[in-house]
Amino acid sequence: MKQYTDLEYLKLSGPEKFANRFSRFFFGIPRALLKFLKAIGRFFANIGRKIANVFVNIYRTFANGDWKTRVSYFVMGFGNLSRGQILRGLLFLIFQIIFIVYMAVWGWKWLSQMGSLGVMGPEEIYDEVYDTYTTIYHDNSFKILLYSVLTLFFIVGFIVTWYFNIEQNRIAEQIIGSSQRKALRISCKKEIKLLKNEYKTVLKAKEPDPNELAQYKEKENDIKARYQAEIEAVPVKKLKSGKDDMRSLVDDQFHKTLLALPLLGILIFTVMPIIFMILVAFTNYDGAHNGYSNNLFHWVGWDNFNTMLNWQTGNKAYSAAFGEILSWTLMWSVFATFTCYFLGMFVAILINKKGIKLKKLWRTILILTIAIPQFISLLYVSKLFADKGIVLTYLQKWFHVPETFSFYGPNASAWTARITVIVINIWIGIPYLMLMATGILMNIPEDLYESAKIDGANVFQQYVKITLPYIMFITGPYLLTSFIGNMNNFNVIFLLTGGAPTNASASAASGSVGYTDLLITWLFKITTGANSEYYMASVIGILIFVVTAFIAMIVYNVMPSTKNEEDFQ
Amino acid sequence: MKLKKVLFPCAVAALMLAGCTGQKQGGDNLKGTYNVTLWVSEVAGVADQFRAQIRAFEAENEGIKIVETIEGVSESSSATQVLTDIDAAADIYCFAQDQTARLIEGGALAKLGKAAAEQVKAENDAGSILAVTGGNDLYAYPLTSDNGYFMYYDKSVITEDVDITNFEAILAKCETSGHTFTMEAAGSAWYIASWFFGTGCTSTWTTDNEGKINGVVDTFNDPVKGLAAAKGLYKLVKSTAHKDNSSVASFEDATPAAVVVSGMWDYTTASAILGENLGVAELPYFHVGEEAYHLGSFSGNKLLGVKPQSDAKRAAVMSKLALYLTGEKCQQERFDEFAWGPSNKVVQNSEAVKANPALAALAKQNQYGTPQGQIHGSWWDIAKVIATDVKATDGSDEQLQAALDAYAAKLADIFEVHPWGLVGNMAESNWSTNIEMTLNANGTWEITYEFLANAEFKVRCGGDWDSFATLKLTLPEGMEQIEGGNIKVNTAGTYKVVVDPVALTLVITAQ
Amino acid sequence: MSEELNQVVVEQVPVQKPKKEKRHMGIKAKRIISNTFVYILLVIMSIIWLAPFVCIVLQSFRCESTWMTGYIIPKQWGFDNYVRLFTKTKFPRWFLNTTIISIATAALQLIIILCMSYTLSRLRFKGRKALMNAMLVLGLFPGILGMIILYRILADLHLTQQNAIPGLILVYTASSGMGYYVSKGFFDTLPKSLDEAARVDGANRAQVLFKVILPLSKPIIIYTLLTSFMGPWGDFVFARYVSFGHSDGMNVAVGLQNMLGSAASINANYTTFCAGGVIVAIPITILFMCLQKYYVEGVTGGAVKG
Repeated sequence: MKQYTDLEYLKLSGPEKFANRFSRFFFGIPRALLKFLKAIGRFFANIGRKIANVFVNIYRTFANGDWKTRVSYFVMGFGNLSRGQILRGLLFLIFQIIFIVYMAVWGWKWLSQMGSLGVMGPEEIYDEVYDTYTTIYHDNSFKILLYSVLTLFFIVGFIVTWYFNIEQNRIAEQIIGSSQRKALRISCKKEIKLLKNEYKTVLKAKEPDPNELAQYKEKENDIKARYQAEIEAVPVKKLKSGKDDMRSLVDDQFHKTLLALPLLGILIFTVMPIIFMILVAFTNYDGAHNGYSNNLFHWVGWDNFNTMLNWQTGNKAYSAAFGEILSWTLMWSVFATFTCYFLGMFVAILINKKGIKLKKLWRTILILTIAIPQFISLLYVSKLFADKGIVLTYLQKWFHVPETFSFYGPNASAWTARITVIVINIWIGIPYLMLMATGILMNIPEDLYESAKIDGANVFQQYVKITLPYIMFITGPYLLTSFIGNMNNFNVIFLLTGGAPTNASASAASGSVGYTDLLITWLFKITTGANSEYYMASVIGILIFVVTAFIAMIVYNVMPSTKNEEDFQ
Repeated sequence: MKLKKVLFPCAVAALMLAGCTGQKQGGDNLKGTYNVTLWVSEVAGVADQFRAQIRAFEAENEGIKIVETIEGVSESSSATQVLTDIDAAADIYCFAQDQTARLIEGGALAKLGKAAAEQVKAENDAGSILAVTGGNDLYAYPLTSDNGYFMYYDKSVITEDVDITNFEAILAKCETSGHTFTMEAAGSAWYIASWFFGTGCTSTWTTDNEGKINGVVDTFNDPVKGLAAAKGLYKLVKSTAHKDNSSVASFEDATPAAVVVSGMWDYTTASAILGENLGVAELPYFHVGEEAYHLGSFSGNKLLGVKPQSDAKRAAVMSKLALYLTGEKCQQERFDEFAWGPSNKVVQNSEAVKANPALAALAKQNQYGTPQGQIHGSWWDIAKVIATDVKATDGSDEQLQAALDAYAAKLADIFEVHPWGLVGNMAESNWSTNIEMTLNANGTWEITYEFLANAEFKVRCGGDWDSFATLKLTLPEGMEQIEGGNIKVNTAGTYKVVVDPVALTLVITAQ
Repeated sequence: MSEELNQVVVEQVPVQKPKKEKRHMGIKAKRIISNTFVYILLVIMSIIWLAPFVCIVLQSFRCESTWMTGYIIPKQWGFDNYVRLFTKTKFPRWFLNTTIISIATAALQLIIILCMSYTLSRLRFKGRKALMNAMLVLGLFPGILGMIILYRILADLHLTQQNAIPGLILVYTASSGMGYYVSKGFFDTLPKSLDEAARVDGANRAQVLFKVILPLSKPIIIYTLLTSFMGPWGDFVFARYVSFGHSDGMNVAVGLQNMLGSAASINANYTTFCAGGVIVAIPITILFMCLQKYYVEGVTGGAVKG
């Protein structure tokens, strides 16, 4: 397979280009997979090396450090405090105290229950005096799991900080020179030892030769003097004071200041829920085991994945429904992405055509669908196309469409409903693409058109040979994000059809599966449905991740990368 | 599993109260101020009426002061919201009865005390009592008994010469006059059931004492009755006049409806659209071969539930308030203002209720109605597919029967029975596969097995190791339970192992 | 991207070779025909795009009935639905709630997104690439499941039901750092020499940000404000989950969507829903149209720079 440079590539003819792209994509897959596996291998090797380094560092710092450093292993911030870095030291110390108090009072309690997720469910008590039943609640599996995860986060945070505290000591010793001085002293001793070895016979003799002894003494003094000079020459730099620290936070450490808040938010409100979700997939958390008001939930290992995916021993209803919904989800993403993409571009070209007036008006009309919240526009459109909606009513009145025809009512055929949502999605999607394409059209280098003109290409040829490839080239990454976005396009499906019409063959799986359901709406329906099988929803969530990650990985690796962020600066 | 306890009052309290049991609940010891949150229907005006009724309750029970917060939450979505977070849910909430099983299972309904249960049973109709029953106990208070469906029709189309008790005649009139026969089929299992109940098929679900549904007896695929129902349904869905819908707004469509099968909630809208021409009637008969079958229906209720409380006194007040709000006087008021059909037997028999045409039609239809007891949540999804499947057939007996059998098979999947078995270090098991027991007629599982000395084993249901821990063991001489829970065989021999999954016992006897 | 620039693009497209034109008709005639064709297409599209909005406005003025009907033009016109919306429902409260949430969210998200995108675009530090990759991976997880956990966290902080407003603001802003891409794309285009010149003059990094970069960032600031302001108006899934059972804590999306909850409710509220939709759409649309220029810049910039 021939590799082309971008310029050579652009000169190819249409079919050649297509063939090249096509083969490049598919030949690229194994290579990309291999590359990816290698990258994973490297990644873990790297991590392993880094972790090993950390342990070595911890050991060496302790062994070589002074007593202040050693105390810091147990009292965080002691080194900083004793060396005059009051602010840092206090922060470390306070953090350690908070951690210890938290662990003693709450953390330990949650962690100790993480294995069992609680032992005592609610208790129903009959009260004879009032002739009523009351309920006393005890353990709450959900809270146990949630707070154990939070506690684990905290512990990891503590360990990192602790290590950071040790590193601080090591660096501090280097800066003030104590470690260099210590090293010099050690090598001084070593050299003297060697010297003593050399003069072993002399020194051990009963009556040493005074000459040789004097020679030895002189040499020894020499060494000592030399090292003394060297030790004194070790520069004593000042450690950063609290003031310096504050200053650096708006200067060379400015990124820390800026990132602290956003990352904390992401950690608690994005990362933590994801980890929790992954854990739930390994429990039996559902409506019948809600962890609090009826039954506690427990760990069940890989059972749920087995139910979902195993065609032999699992619940066939789930594996069949999953297969069906996944294939429709992928089809939907492909169609939703590319129909909007090409049509949006087409509309952009129409509006930008020379001689067309009122450009701004046309654009503004289209942009209305972006401006108006989707729950209004889509919900209303869904009622328009519903069985009793205005569209069908007028179709029946004017075009004598049969009464039985339905876009996505309960009696609609699967493909009518699916095509309808794809078409309505075009209505939603074109305006974005139109805006984007308008912007990109302006960035097409003029010389491409110049050379095409010389070659005698007409407008259409220019579009096919220059405009389209160029846009494709530039919007590659956008296509990928848009594809993944469409896979998880909850709003359009949920508001338009709610998944209808019902999929007869999948009715034994939880969540009223319909023909237009995407994985993401199925997941939502499972959690809010009759049995509230949260564990199944989590399994689906994980599978969505696996599928999207797989696609993203292949596309990223195969696609010629067009963006190098430094290029723009 | 919920632990159960009975709290006995201490001896002194028992002595003090001994004389006045029964009376004391209405009396002074419930005095106090209570903050109560209520979720009631979001229909305009309902919340205000509840507020007024609470004032009346206070007037009747001196010393009890209720500080209420009332929110409009639709009966169909309240269960989902209660189960989202029970702590944040309302103390008293209205819900549709198809949610009862789910709410009981979720531990979101407080069981009724003995006196309250007696009162509910005495005052309300049989269907509504069934709707609040789980196992042997009552869990909610019937609020209405009007959640059923019947027929709205346009008198200008279905004129007097059409026999409104004859489904085929009505359908033919709809076809010839260019109107639709609007009845939900593929959209909802609730309406499909009409055909099957009409021919005498049943679908009865059983619950255990926890309120959890544990089985079903379903005859929808009966080769005679079920098939007849499927044939009736086939006539409907294949008709050019059929419209799959349940909204009376269909009377206004481009191809207007002549008949709409719907319920009480559409009465106001229907009379607004059709005015004088609105006819209301019970569902008609449909004919298969020689037989005529009256279309059946679900009769259902709206219910009032009380969230489990931790304080007995408060729980007693909530129960008292719920009883009052669902009592005769309040149901009468609700009928007067919103035409909600009462579940209270006295109100049902009042002249005013009997004079309401829609309620009268509903009452007639209810003679053919099946009370909607506890139904497994998955049934609605599984059953509504019948209509789609029936429509896809060619109407032959074989294909229709196949569609029904497919339904039955899916239903059976819900309660896939896991057999009990031995699992241990015996060669056939090797701690990974069960040596399966056989099911006896009385519901116990049994196996006779020859054990070698030093064998260790457990008994489990399917792959569920936890099931062993719930069993109470009775071991013969020669076997013992060792550390870690395994049963160890000290004396080799043949033993009979019997598991009773209901009483949760494991009995092993030497043979 | 403004109007003039578009014109420039179009003019770049070269005209056909004279040879061809001679054989057929004059270039002008040809252009007129093709332009007429384009106009027809555009008019048809405009009708399709506007029709639903025209319908919703017409329905909101229908007085003779409140349910879904099969016709568009009302038989009886009037403001009944609007009156009902403001007197019989808690719509004013929902509108106020949503406005508060939107303004607070816009302000806080702006700060967070700017911090994030500026840092990742213009500062170089250890772990920057790793951080960006991690964000990319996190973005592939479907967020909807997190709802249950976020609800629990908010409930423990007493930020649900009647206190849903601060709760929603917290959730909307907390993870907004994930959406830094467009903004980073903008910062990437500012020349690095700007920073360097300022650094040479002795400014520290914070001063560079506040004195040099921010004054140049008006387009992206307005874009970020606009998109984050519009977000909360459309959220009906999480907002419902957080505010259930307390109509005082709902936003417009939840409140209006509840009107179409059950059959009885649709019969009573369909036209009221339309009126609510119109009231919500008008201010947002006006705002959006005024700031359209910045939105377009953001969208196109985001696409080109990924």
